[in-house]
Order: sequence, then structure tokens, then C-alpha cells
Amino acid sequence: MASRGAILLGQCMPCIKKNASKIRIRRMELDKNLNMYFKKEEFFFAHDPEKVCKTGDIVLIRELPQRLTRLISHEIEKVVYPMGDITDPLTGKKVVVGKYRDQIEEANRLYGKSEKAFDYEKAPPRGRLEGTRDFTHGETYIKYHEDGKDQPFAV
Amino acid sequence: MPFMKGRAPIRRTIEYLNAGRLVLKDKVKIFSVNYNTHGDHHSGARELVFWNLCQIQYKNPNVQVVALKNMTPSPFVRCYFEDGRDMLIDVDSRNREEIIEHLCKVVGKTKAQLDAEAHLAESKDNPANFGYGCDRHCICEIPGQVPCPGIVKLPDHLRGKFIFAPK
Repeated sequence: MASRGAILLGQCMPCIKKNASKIRIRRMELDKNLNMYFKKEEFFFAHDPEKVCKTGDIVLIRELPQRLTRLISHEIEKVVYPMGDITDPLTGKKVVVGKYRDQIEEANRLYGKSEKAFDYEKAPPRGRLEGTRDFTHGETYIKYHEDGKDQPFAV
Repeated sequence: MPFMKGRAPIRRTIEYLNAGRLVLKDKVKIFSVNYNTHGDHHSGARELVFWNLCQIQYKNPNVQVVALKNMTPSPFVRCYFEDGRDMLIDVDSRNREEIIEHLCKVVGKTKAQLDAEAHLAESKDNPANFGYGCDRHCICEIPGQVPCPGIVKLPDHLRGKFIFAPK
């Protein structure tokens, strides 16, 4: 068949590298003593120059035939479930954990919709508040030096 | 059962793990189940994950088995193939046995294929082989070959000290 690499399903993690996204792959490993499967996580860097995948998305990555850099070994094949904007594959409608968005809107409309309520139709794509309220795009670190400048990613 | 800990520790016996029926086809690389923790129509998927996911992972150690919870209103199973395409299987309001039956028929290896593979694995043990892990350890044990020089002295024309001795 095609000599392409193995594919894996993982979740996107915060990463400050340009052109790459850090993906967490969770595999089950058998503990021989207990005969029980435990989650084992591996981190891969996937080539993503346009930053199609944001933190929290479930993506499909594929191993590159040759490593791009010392760390980047995979490429993003497809974003399967973008966080917050999941499309139910069986019906094709947008869902919000267990409810369809049109059902929620219908219920809201019957009860009386508030003007300040979040509107999925009018909301811009994810990333609007990056830098002001949303800090999931970078890794956090424990503050080691107070230099008076604003350090939004320091914990 | 040693370490009888947790809910249904029978799932943690080798016998139970080997009794798994679903052996996925070679092309399937990722097996993912999406289900919710509440809801009657998800109960079949929930039971599948609880009882059979360990069996599926045991029988297919090279497949990434993923269980995703509370994402969509209806449960489904998604198998990803090595070329990136995926197969969607709706398991809404189906019980565990029906789901496994369907999966065996659709993405599972047939019994005939499994038997053929088992047969192939057995016949690889060639009885004519010798060495580590075989019945005979050395070529000297095979009838028709030169006997062990540790037991029966080799003839002079085959011994180095006579071939290279100064005349």
C-alpha cells in the first residue's frame, strides 16, 4: 500500500513553537502484574504552519516519512473534533455535549432569549480573546522572576 | 483470581482477555468509541467500553483504542484506516452483543482468516532447525553430520594443528 506513516488520534496541547503543535497521544498499556490497561501519554510535535489546530481539538496526525526537524516528526492530517464546535457525524448538525444546538436555541427562544447570551451564529471563530482572556495557546510556567512586565503565562 | 480489586475484576484475567472475539482487520489503525455517561440509548456503548474494550485492545495491541466521553448526543464507533478514511458505526440504542456482532462482521477478521494465521504461525517452527530454542542444540547432534569433536576426535586432515604444522 502507500508507504505513509502510521496515523494516531490525539488532543492538541498548548505549544509556543511556530509551525508546530504539540499533540498528546493517549495509548493503553497493559500492566502485566495486574492485567489491567492504564493510560500512557506520549507527546508529538506535528507540522502545522497555518495553526489549524488549537488547544483542545482532537486531531488525526500522521508520521512523516522523514523528520522535518529534530522534534517535528508528524503532520496534521485532519481536525476531527474542534473544541467547542463539534459536528455530530451521524446527523451533521452542531452539538453541545448531548444536545443539538438548534434544540438549545429553540428552548431558549421559548423561554425568552437574553440579548447578552452567547449566539453561536454570530460568534467569530475561536481565537478572538486570545491574549486578553484566552491563554490556552501557550504553555504555563511557574513565575521565577518578577521584572515588572506583564507575564500572562506565569502561574 | 489474585488481586480481586475493582469492579468486575474478571476483566483482568488472561483467560477473559484471550476470549475476545473481535480481531480487527490489518487496515484498521484507530478504534474510537464516543459515548455519554448518562442516557439509556448510550447504555450499550457504555457496556461495550466497560466489558469489551480491554479484550479488543488485548487482541489488537497495535491499534490505538480511544474512548471519548460526553461529546455528542448519540453514541457511535469510528474506525480509522491507514489511508486516513474512517468508518462510522451508529450504535444508538443497541446492546453490547449486537454491537460486537456487527463489528465482527464489518471490521473483524473472519474465523477462517484467524485459523489460517494460527496455522501459519505454527508451521514456522521447522523441525529441521537447530540452535537456540530448538530441540537440537548443535549440528553435531544431527544424524549424518560430523560428530561432536569434544567426544570423537576429528581426523587429522581436518585439524588445524596438523594442517599448519611445519614439515
